[in-house]
Amino acid sequence: MSNLDISPEKAALTQPSSNQPDGPGKRIGKRGEIHVIGNVVPGGGKLFRDRIARFQAEAGYWEKRIGTVHDFRVILFDNDTRILVSAVYDGDFVPYLQDVVTQAGPWFDLLMPGVWEGFTCAADPATAKLIERQAYTADAFYAANPDLTIKDIAKMRRLSEAVNEMLDAAN
Amino acid sequence: MAVELELEDIQGTVLRSRPMPYFGTYYVFTIDDAGNAITLIKRLLPHITPAANWDAPPENAWINATFSWEGLRKLGLPREILDGFPREFIQGMAARKEFLGDVGLNDPSHWDMPHGGNGLDIGLLIMAGSPELRDAKAAIGREAVAGLGGVRTVNRLDVGLPPTGREHFGFVDGISRPYIEGQGGDPLPGQPVAKAGEFVLGYENELGVIASGPGPEDFWRNSTYISLRKIHQDVAAFRRFLRDNAETSDGRELVAAQMMGRWRSGCPMALSPEKDDPEIAKDPMRNNDFSFRTEDPDGDRTAPGCHIRRVNPRDALDGTVVDMRLHRLLRRGSAYGPVLPEGVTEDDGVDRGLVLAIINANPGRQFEFVQSQWINDGDFISQGERSDPIAGRRDRSDEFAVPRPRHRYKGLAAFSQTRGGEHLFLPGLGGLRWMVERLGPH
Ligand code: HEM
Repeated sequence: MSNLDISPEKAALTQPSSNQPDGPGKRIGKRGEIHVIGNVVPGGGKLFRDRIARFQAEAGYWEKRIGTVHDFRVILFDNDTRILVSAVYDGDFVPYLQDVVTQAGPWFDLLMPGVWEGFTCAADPATAKLIERQAYTADAFYAANPDLTIKDIAKMRRLSEAVNEMLDAAN
Repeated sequence: MAVELELEDIQGTVLRSRPMPYFGTYYVFTIDDAGNAITLIKRLLPHITPAANWDAPPENAWINATFSWEGLRKLGLPREILDGFPREFIQGMAARKEFLGDVGLNDPSHWDMPHGGNGLDIGLLIMAGSPELRDAKAAIGREAVAGLGGVRTVNRLDVGLPPTGREHFGFVDGISRPYIEGQGGDPLPGQPVAKAGEFVLGYENELGVIASGPGPEDFWRNSTYISLRKIHQDVAAFRRFLRDNAETSDGRELVAAQMMGRWRSGCPMALSPEKDDPEIAKDPMRNNDFSFRTEDPDGDRTAPGCHIRRVNPRDALDGTVVDMRLHRLLRRGSAYGPVLPEGVTEDDGVDRGLVLAIINANPGRQFEFVQSQWINDGDFISQGERSDPIAGRRDRSDEFAVPRPRHRYKGLAAFSQTRGGEHLFLPGLGGLRWMVERLGPH
């Protein structure tokens, strides 16, 4: 067996993945992933470091508002020349892009203008297009519980708390 | 500053509500010869009805001309303009079948109305207040193609208000629509005010920019897109579902109302959840005056999964990722086919349904978003794969849930099935003239 062959035993738990139905990103069940790699404006690294603490501090607020993102990260790399934004989220990517950019616009505007080349402000319709143009699709992707959305998980947590309380009360 | 819509240049269907009763026809033309097709447009031009005086038209009939991307390509529109159109329009609706849920029974292989990929190059919309007026307008269309080789009429579909005055499932429709800034008059209670650029190119949209098209402004100004759907309705299956889920006729009416979010009279569940109130339905000051977020967050009155709360969640999604202002639709729906006689619950094999003509300046974030995210999916309301009980796909779920009294309906059939569809470009009158001048023989 060459080491390029797939072992049937280990592949038994494979998850069927597909590309997002409309645009970049992989998809397993309801879970999607996206990576966007942009160029950094010269001098943008300093601006980025000045602003990142506030951006991080507000992450919970804005992501809760968006409500469909499981995890999210921003990385400055290659000596301040490139920026990577990646996320794992529920549902389709492109159809929601304009909404996300509009709804979380003020948050992105705290960090990106002057850092990410081509990003003037979130409200500019060119921003959604820039993100779509610079997006990459993962070649390999794994998601636990791919059929549960953030909303589903929150609902199950409320249910399980209620059940526990009931059981506690019964004892 | 107040917006002024150039009503003399916008084609009538954008603002005119259909007459009541209405008599209409859709003609589909295929282009074999570009030069002759331009002659057709030239002949039609003086007859194209603009939106001017839309609220009190001198003649209760109109004729409008639309084009698929394939049609524009055949007409010889330059490549750089063709490439600048929105992706959805370029690809055409049939090519977007996976995304739109047009699979299985809805698959384009079952469509009997041509789309851009197989014959729909030019579409003519005719709407009138009487059969005579309709026939007069239709004659204009027929005379315009007469003697022109190279342009074939490949399909004709007549639409008209059924004698019941309702669509085929028995509901009054045509009640709720957005108010377009600059349309004149005042918005009705409950009517959202939308920026003109959501429905017509050349005006500011909800993102605060001027909605624009490809190529010179003379070509796209005052144009828009019509997302057309021909939807077959399985009325017998719908009636059987009501019968199987309720003992009495009142019970059946309740099931229907839960699925729609309005009683069949048009009275909103939001305003009268226990029983129908036809007086509310008739009163334009009341029949659309409701919202969900604070009045009914859990859907105790209007179920979150019902048709009207999906296609227009109003304020229910405020504070979430979705910005409702970006997903508004302006509907021009009309029924086709004979009524299934009252009481019949076995299919008679006759085609009947609805031609939905959705006007939107951005078919991707308007029609396609609503169809894919709200009609065909349930995640936005934490309901997994469940789809619209009236208009949704059925290959993933056949359930519909009502929170109060808590009930889960199962075994919903494919009550509506796609039988045709295309994104069409509806130029302004100036745009049509530009096409004749630039694309015609010099
Ligand atoms: C067989 C299929 C369908 C039937 C029988 C149907 C029927 C109705 C009825 C009776 C209403 C309520 C009355 C009114 O406000 O006019 C309505 C509302 C509406 N429908 Fe449909 N419809 C169908 C498919 C669709 C589809 C596919 C879409 C969009 C993609 C759509 C979009 C809308 C919108 C936007 C409203 C207004 C909701 C509001 O503002 O409250 N419908 N429909």
